Amino acid sequence: MMRTIEVLLVIIIITGASITASWFAVLPQPRQASQLNLRRLALTTLEMLDQDHGLSQTAFRTAGDPAWSQLQAALSGSLPPNILYNLTVYNTTSGAALDSISNAQTLGVGSDAATYMVASSNVTFNVAPQKIGQQGNGGGTLYILNCSDSNGWWITGYTANSLANDLYNLLSPYFQVTIMVQNTTQLGQILNGTNISTSPYENVTSAVVINTNGEAVPIPSGYYNTSGYDNQQSSYAKYCYMLGNATLTYNWTWVSIVGYPLYYVCNTGLFQSASNQNGFGIHGMIMVGPAGLNAFLEGLSNQTYSYNGTWITDSYTDDPGLANVGLSSNTLYYCNYYGIYPSVYQTATRALPTSILSMYKLTVASYILNQVDNWCPGAFYNHIGSGAFMALGLARTPDIRLTAIGLLAAYRPSLYRSQYTASGTSRLVVLQLGQAGGV
Amino acid sequence: MPEATIDHIVSLIALLGAILIFIGLFNQTIQTAVVYEEHAYLATECSDLLDSILLNPGSPSNTTLYWGTSNCTPTNFGLQDPEFTQYELSPFSLMRLFYSPGSSVYYDKTNAYYSNNTLTLGESLLTPYNEVVNYTTVTQLLGINGTLGFSLALTPLVSVITTQTQSTNLSLTVTVTSNGYPLANAGLSYCLIAVSGQGSYPSFTIEPGTNTTNSQGQALLSFPDVDGTKEPYALMVVCASQSGLLGTGDYEHALNNESYAIPLIADFGNQSVLIANSQDVYLQNNPSSMSYNATFFLLTHGFTLSQMPLTNPAGNIDSGPGTSYGNITIPTNNPGILAIGYNVTNPDNTVSTGVTLMPWGISPMPLPVVLGGNPLQSDWVTEDIRQVTVNGISYQAKLELWSLQGYTEISQK
Repeated sequence: MMRTIEVLLVIIIITGASITASWFAVLPQPRQASQLNLRRLALTTLEMLDQDHGLSQTAFRTAGDPAWSQLQAALSGSLPPNILYNLTVYNTTSGAALDSISNAQTLGVGSDAATYMVASSNVTFNVAPQKIGQQGNGGGTLYILNCSDSNGWWITGYTANSLANDLYNLLSPYFQVTIMVQNTTQLGQILNGTNISTSPYENVTSAVVINTNGEAVPIPSGYYNTSGYDNQQSSYAKYCYMLGNATLTYNWTWVSIVGYPLYYVCNTGLFQSASNQNGFGIHGMIMVGPAGLNAFLEGLSNQTYSYNGTWITDSYTDDPGLANVGLSSNTLYYCNYYGIYPSVYQTATRALPTSILSMYKLTVASYILNQVDNWCPGAFYNHIGSGAFMALGLARTPDIRLTAIGLLAAYRPSLYRSQYTASGTSRLVVLQLGQAGGV
Repeated sequence: MPEATIDHIVSLIALLGAILIFIGLFNQTIQTAVVYEEHAYLATECSDLLDSILLNPGSPSNTTLYWGTSNCTPTNFGLQDPEFTQYELSPFSLMRLFYSPGSSVYYDKTNAYYSNNTLTLGESLLTPYNEVVNYTTVTQLLGINGTLGFSLALTPLVSVITTQTQSTNLSLTVTVTSNGYPLANAGLSYCLIAVSGQGSYPSFTIEPGTNTTNSQGQALLSFPDVDGTKEPYALMVVCASQSGLLGTGDYEHALNNESYAIPLIADFGNQSVLIANSQDVYLQNNPSSMSYNATFFLLTHGFTLSQMPLTNPAGNIDSGPGTSYGNITIPTNNPGILAIGYNVTNPDNTVSTGVTLMPWGISPMPLPVVLGGNPLQSDWVTEDIRQVTVNGISYQAKLELWSLQGYTEISQK
């Protein structure tokens, strides 16, 4: 009898354990086993209704406006018949509910919601760039060489004037003042450190100078024509030396947009002889050759002028890796930031050697294009003292967007965007969905 | 002694009985939990799979080669428009999907079978088997071959129904609804093509226009210069409601339904379309000769229809033996509608005229898209829904998913 009593006790204990386990083992409701992803359905419904900004416009309408009944018809029409909904529009500033539409008093036993921010169509969102030079980051003045008395070379398909205008449109928002250097006389003035405009922001020191003449560079008559001429070598390489030295003295950034920098000098008023052409029929232009760039770098690094006619660049014909060279990751990042999108791949025919870094005390501030072996197809160089040099050793035709993005990636002016949370300009739409029926 | 033995036996039997009952009780709980887990897994998988199909353009989808506009078999399956983000689908990748509910069509002049997505007579999309992406390929690309079955359906959210209210001095009533709810104040952009059978080849009269629906979602379109009893015509409509729903609709009125022109996709990559005689496609026994003239209407970004000229748009087709069919090339990579006017010379030398339509890209005409298997034999089917747009037109995407392997350790059957 005792065994039976013991077993009854055991059965009572197990029963107690079973009841306790059943109490805590809460099984899900049948509906939870396989329910619609209501959150996703709500989000895609809101996105679809706003694809033509219809939802945004309705969210700013007053209560009772016919647009609300049209929105309700669209909601009822686009959602399956067994879906219950409640759409509420909130003021983002106060958090107050402004309007609400629904097709049921309650949303059943389970519901889910998606939120969607809409902006008023009456609001314009602005992007204001920081001005270069505003916060001591150098170069508040941009000089674009647009000399009417100079021709360009290696800018096939364009003129220096058209490139200058494009550059003005692209870059002037980022500088405190942008000045078109209209002729070689004005170029001579800034080489002398003299302002050429009445703008209070013009500052020759720390300016950026973009040469839009391609492989040619304008040369002023007078002092620069005489002192810049190397009588011994019968070359204007010495003028290029003076340009490099001015870049050092005034802490300029000298920008070469395409090809072999400073390969010719040009002044249509000065070089009027029929023989004064670059060998390809462009008059008013005299070849300097590779000596021009070598002399410029000597001037930039404050070395003594010494004529050096050695060709220092490399082309894709010698190094196939230069045929299809890509934008650097840094440049790609700033392409997205500033919204300037040149072709990702370029062909280099005048890539500069890395040996110039040690030879002329330069450092690479930013690579515009990826370095290939020991060659830099496009880079922004800082001189160790002052002055900078940006060179794009690419094949013609020049892409002026590369020049713009190269400069912006080096100076990195910030973009200030107006905020969505400005009072009254945005509203929050919440769509809550549930399923009709019981559990 | 016997009392003790009886005591032992009774207690042992009671204990064993109690244990068996408790095992059964716990087993019931565990079974329910396992089945719940299986169903919950299917529901999660369904949602993930639907998003992975709708938010991924598939491969290849680069600037030089996109599987939706070429003949290549995708190496990764997805329907998102590669030029957009979010739930915007490509009208061309949808056009390459096999239409599961349709009855296949065999055309002996090309010795090919065609996937058949026919809305009504004269409004169809026929795509060759060797160019469509079928269910088996998609299950393999999604990595669910042999484990899960699915059915993907895309249905236009807006219904645009046209009825002829007056034939002479033609007037048409267009009714715009969504799920039965009328869309009031919806903007309509339409284009009527009336076909004239005069001359060697049919010619078109095109009347574009705009209108707005009333509170019942209806708009009356009048074409006093068109006599619907003598001229076949087709109406193409794009509807944009103020609340953001966009839809398309079309209506085709032919005077002869015995023989008609049927467009067949020939090559997605070359954008070429064959024009066949229905007598050859459906093996009817009323031989006829046919002349046709085709034109193309581009669905612009502003949701209007703009006519584009075709190169060599006209030709002749004779039914019966031979290789007689027309061949035209669609001049654009953008969605639109190919309209073909035709003159049929019947055996009794009478001439009847008609017009047929074919979408280029799935969205310009309200064709549904259904790709998938049949879930009838499965224990449990789960589904999920998203709202999507196809070239701006509102669609609802529904995925049904089921297991092909049954339940594992414990079956609920």
